[in-house]
This record gives sequence, C-alpha cells and structure tokens, in this order.
Amino acid sequence: MRKINSIYIIDDDPITVFGIKKILGTVVQCETLATYGNGKLALEAIREHLTNQLAIPDVIFLDINMPIMDGWQFLEEFIGLPINQKVRVNIITSSIDTADVENWEHYRTRSHHLITFNNKPVKKDKLDLITKVA
Amino acid sequence: MLKDRHIRTTSYLIKQLPKATAFLNSELEVTHASDKWIDYFNFEDRNVFGRKVIDLFGATGKAWQKTFKECIKGVSSGTTVEHYTDKNQKECWFEQTVLPWYDEQENVIGVIFQIEDVTDSVVHQLELDKLHLLYNEKTEIAKIGSWNYDLTTHKLTWSKMTKRIHEVDDDYVPDINTSINFYKQGYSRNTISMMLEKAMREGVPWNVKLQIVTAKGNEKWVIAAGKPLFKNNILVGILGTFQDINDQVVADIKTKESERLLKTLIDALPLNVFVKDLNSKKILVNKAECEYLGFKNPNSVIGKDDFDFYSAEMAQGFREEDLQVMNSLEPLLGKECIIIKKDGSATTLLTSKIPLVGNDGKANGLVGISLDISELKQKEEELRDLINVTSLQNKKLVNFAHIVSHNLRSHSANFSMLLDFLVNEENGEEKENITRMLVDASDNLLETLENLNEVVAINTNTNLVKKPILLNDMVKKVAQNLSAFLRNNNAKIVNDVCEKVIIPVIPAYLESILLNFVTNAVKYKEPTRDPVIRLSCSFQENYMVLVIKDNGMGIDLKKYGDKLFGMYKTFHNNKDARGIGLYISKNQIEAMGGKVTVSSTVGKGSTFKLFFNEKN
Repeated sequence: MRKINSIYIIDDDPITVFGIKKILGTVVQCETLATYGNGKLALEAIREHLTNQLAIPDVIFLDINMPIMDGWQFLEEFIGLPINQKVRVNIITSSIDTADVENWEHYRTRSHHLITFNNKPVKKDKLDLITKVA
Repeated sequence: MLKDRHIRTTSYLIKQLPKATAFLNSELEVTHASDKWIDYFNFEDRNVFGRKVIDLFGATGKAWQKTFKECIKGVSSGTTVEHYTDKNQKECWFEQTVLPWYDEQENVIGVIFQIEDVTDSVVHQLELDKLHLLYNEKTEIAKIGSWNYDLTTHKLTWSKMTKRIHEVDDDYVPDINTSINFYKQGYSRNTISMMLEKAMREGVPWNVKLQIVTAKGNEKWVIAAGKPLFKNNILVGILGTFQDINDQVVADIKTKESERLLKTLIDALPLNVFVKDLNSKKILVNKAECEYLGFKNPNSVIGKDDFDFYSAEMAQGFREEDLQVMNSLEPLLGKECIIIKKDGSATTLLTSKIPLVGNDGKANGLVGISLDISELKQKEEELRDLINVTSLQNKKLVNFAHIVSHNLRSHSANFSMLLDFLVNEENGEEKENITRMLVDASDNLLETLENLNEVVAINTNTNLVKKPILLNDMVKKVAQNLSAFLRNNNAKIVNDVCEKVIIPVIPAYLESILLNFVTNAVKYKEPTRDPVIRLSCSFQENYMVLVIKDNGMGIDLKKYGDKLFGMYKTFHNNKDARGIGLYISKNQIEAMGGKVTVSSTVGKGSTFKLFFNEKN
C-alpha cells in the first residue's frame, strides 16, 4: 500500500468527508489525515505549519461551495504561500457550472502545484488515481 | 474838316449800335466798331481801331481773312456759326454775318462784320443731342417703346421699339383697334380697354402690367402706360410708353415658384428646419420648427434667437456651436443633444448645422436641420430596460439551474457513494452508521427540494395581489411575533417608520422579509453588545425605502458582497446558517418590483435598504 505523509480534506459536508476518508483507508497509508470545514480553517493550519517549519500536506481534497471561505478563495491564498514543494490539490465538486471549470483553468495555469478537477461521486478507482504525491 | 466831322459822327453812331458790329476797311483794319463788339471779344486793349483782324484774332483771324477777302470781291458767305475762345479761355459760339461795305458809289470799300452770340442755344442743342442719345440707349436696354395717339387725326404712331416689342415690321401702321387687339384676351384686353376709355373720358393716366400676344404669337408681359394730353383743357391726344418686362416677370414667376416649392417642401418635412443669420437670429423657420417652439405663426419666431426659447446656459452653448460652424465653415452633422425648453419639457434632437457661404467665401449664416428623436430615444430606453430585465431574468434562471443541478447532484452523489459502501460493507456497526447517514442525506435532499420549491413559488406566483398596507403596523406585528426571541437575546427594535406610510405589497412576503432581516440582525450580533435594530423609511426617486440598520458584527462586503444574497452561501460560523434566507428575501422583494442594497462595516453593523416601487 502506498504511503503518504499528510492529507487534508477541506469540505463542509460530513457525508462527503466520511466517504473520502473511508475510501482513502483502502488505497493509501497515511500518517496524518486532517479535516477542515472551510477554506479559512485549512489555510490557518497550513500557515501555522509553515511558520513552525512543519510538514505541508502532500494531497488536498478541496470542496468549492463552503461557508466563510470557499474553495476558490482558498486557492487564491494558497498559491501565494511560500511553498516550494509541489502539492496535489484535488477539487471535488458536484458543480458542472462552466464558470467553475474556467476558474480551475485560471488557477491551474497560475500555480506550480498540481490542481485537478473532479466531479462527485468519487469512486475508489478514481480516488486511487488522484491520491499520489505530485 | 467837314469830312472828318462826318466820319466822327458816323463812328459815334456805330459805337452805339445794339448789335456787335465792326466795319473793316479793304486792308481788313478795324475802322468802326460798336461797344458791344469790343465787349464781346473782350480784347485786352479796347483801342482796336486801325488794327488788323489777323492781329486781333490770331489764328482764328487768319481763317476769317479768307472769308473777308472773298466778301470784298463781292462774294458773301452769308451767315455762319463760328467758334471762338477768348483770352480767359471762355468758349463762345456766335452767328457771324459778313457783308460787303459799300460807299455812296456802290463801291466795296470793306466788310461789315456782325456777330450774334448763340452759345446758349448751341449748348442746349448739344444737351438735347446727348439726351436723345441717352434716350435711345435707354430705350434699347430697358426695352421701352413709346406711342402717340393724336385725337384730332385719330392717328396712332408707334416708336421703333414699340414695334419691335409687338414683333411687327418697321413699316407697320397701327391703329387704335388693332393695338388693343394685341392684348391677350380676357383680363389684359379688358383692362386696357377700360383704361383707355377712362383716360379719354376723365383724363386719368394709367400704368398697368399686362400680357400681349405678339404678331408672331408669343405671349409677353409688358408695362403699358398712357398719359392724356390737354391743350386749353381739351383732350388732344394720349402719349404713352410700352415696356417689355417679359424676362423679369418670367424670372419673377420662376423665383416665386421655386420659393413656393421650397416652402412647401420644408413645411412638409418631418424635420425642424431653420436659417440663422450671423447673430444666430432665426431668419427662416419651417412649420415643424415653428410648432416645436410652440408658435403658430413663423413671424413670432423670426428675428429671435435661442436665448428667447431656452435657458441662458443652453442658448450660450448653441451660440458657441453656431460660431464654430460659421467660423470654420465645417458643417456639424448629426449631433445628439437633450434640449430643455423654458416650460421644462425635454426633447432629444439630432441636429445638423451647415454654414451658408456667401460670394466672399465667408459664412453669412447657417442652415439648421433637427430631427426630434425623443420617441425613438424613449423606445430605445424601453428596449434597453427590457433587455436588462430579460438578461437579469436569464441570469437568474441560469443561476437557479446551477443551484438546482449542483444541489441535486451533490445529494445524489452522496446517495450513490453511501449505497456503494452499504452494499460492500460487512461490519454491522458500520452498516448502521452508513444507514444513518443515508437518512441524513435523504432529509437534506427533502429540505433542499423544499427550499427550491419556495424559490420557484416566489418567481412563478407573480399574480399574487398587492395590497396597500401601513408599513408601521407590519413592523409592529413582526416585533410582536418575535417578542420572545428578542427578549431572550436582549434585543430591541426601534420603529421609526412614519405612521402614515402606506405601501402596496404582498403582505405575506413583507412579513417574511421583515422576520428574516430582524432575526438575521439578532443572529449575527456583535457578542459584546445587545442588538438594536432601527427601522425607518425615506423616499428616494420612485421608491419608498425601508432602512433596516443594526449594530451587529457586520460583514466584509469586499469579500462576500457578491455572494451575500446568493443561495446556500453562508459567511459566519453559525450552525443555524442555511444560506437560504437572504436569497428568498431578495427574490420576494424583486417579485414585488423592488430591490435591496446593503452597506456594512465589520464590527459596527450593517444597513439594508429595501426599495419598494411605489408606482407599481
């Protein structure tokens, strides 16, 4: 089984979080798996890790529609952070709004991180594919 | 001695002769001369006796000498008119008579030289000749002929020009009847007959513009004038002139026709047309322009300028525009501007101004053409409004479609995922866990559907009837309904809404809206102070505005402004937040023809303004 140091799940829907966690348990071995209810909480955690020179997540599962700070606002802040390593950010959404696809294109080309766009539901095969260190 | 005396006596007699007379001997020396003769020639030395003619008259004398010598020989030249310039350069014309001078034995002993001044008559003759020449010239140029009717002989004579105007030969002999028949039948012939009769009977002259038909059949306009002549109070004849004015009249008629055509044309145009002079005073306006300015008669507008019709500021602008056009000679084409007349009415005009350039290459005014496009503008405005409404509706629809799609998809994705887990799960405890989540997911889906249903209902039930209600009463009612909730949160409502304000609303919507805004204000209170919600109203343009001001935590509009009224958008870590309240309130306000705006300062509070369209 693949080993990954740190994975973040940023989503306000407990069922989705439950599902991702459950499938992850069957495809990777993960040392740290953290969950955040919105972008702001996740961003605060990452900033703290950066200041304390702790490990940054290798893979992030990111929802778009969230209170306080949504997925796009999170990405806007995240790509501006001084992170040298390449982080894999998997957007998981039920949106088929073309505006969201355009937004994804926008951030994907502006960042050195690997950003992917995935529609719900995310089945095991798919999750296996996208849960890798970038 | 006796002879001497005789001579002296003779000399003295001659001296007094009333005519200028001189006696010259055979040597052509002056022997006797009358004072008149000496005076006439104005000699320097009055003592002319014994002097030769050639000495007295110089070159002129030399010419005369021949005549005199012939005369002495017995050949008289009779009377001739001579010309002489005296020492003062005065020109004299005189009639000269040279006769032989006989002695008692009928021997020629000299000549008698007698003169009579004719300067005046010669000058008159010259002037007459000149006048004659001028008269002929004028007759030729002005095409004025003359005629003369002698009543004693009943003879009518036409001048050459009169004949030419009638297009008859020079030897044509007119009479009074044939001449009248040249006039065109009808008005012209009747008029001339009447005039002639009146002149003969009452001696009244005439001067009329009539038409003739010439011998060659051409119609011509003429001015015929006649003046009766009297001798001892008896009418003896009629003298008249006859002027060909056909060219002028035809040109005149053509000009008038062109003018009429132009006037008909510009009056019929659905455009405002005006001509301004250098001072921007209107010197011509068409019917449309006249009516536009509110007058029936163009004379009420002529001579006035824009300062008479518009505000000083607006008129000054037009004046500068006029000057620009007239100075640059560049036309101003299709300029759109909104014009406010003194009565306050506004129109949108599309105006062109074209300089009128004179022969000197400078502008002497301008022609203006305006098209009233107010209606067009209004239609354009209405169309734009319609497009705005349509695109807004479309945007709302697309937004709603995405909301529906997104929400239903997210629930169905959860179902799909959970069912997948359930099928493959063997652990009984986990199975139960998953089943519980499936129930949650089902509840969430139901709630979502209910919310969506509510939004659809608001947007489709547009035929819900609006009723006028007292806004103040509604605020009181909501405060009453929320009294327990407010007491529990130490919240206070301040109702500053004017008691008399009545607005047409769908009462259920307004109640729901007020409930939502008030509970929101309490839910998102600033933790360190008790919530105070102040409601007041004001008028703004077409709207009655309800202002709801709280002292809550406020919201960062830079971050969340565009999402505040969106569906399922929440901005606070509040467990009650569903992200549906403001979305529904906004839909309800818009369904009543209103709108909502917000201003907020984080930490201080928010102010929501609800606009109710009073007219609708």
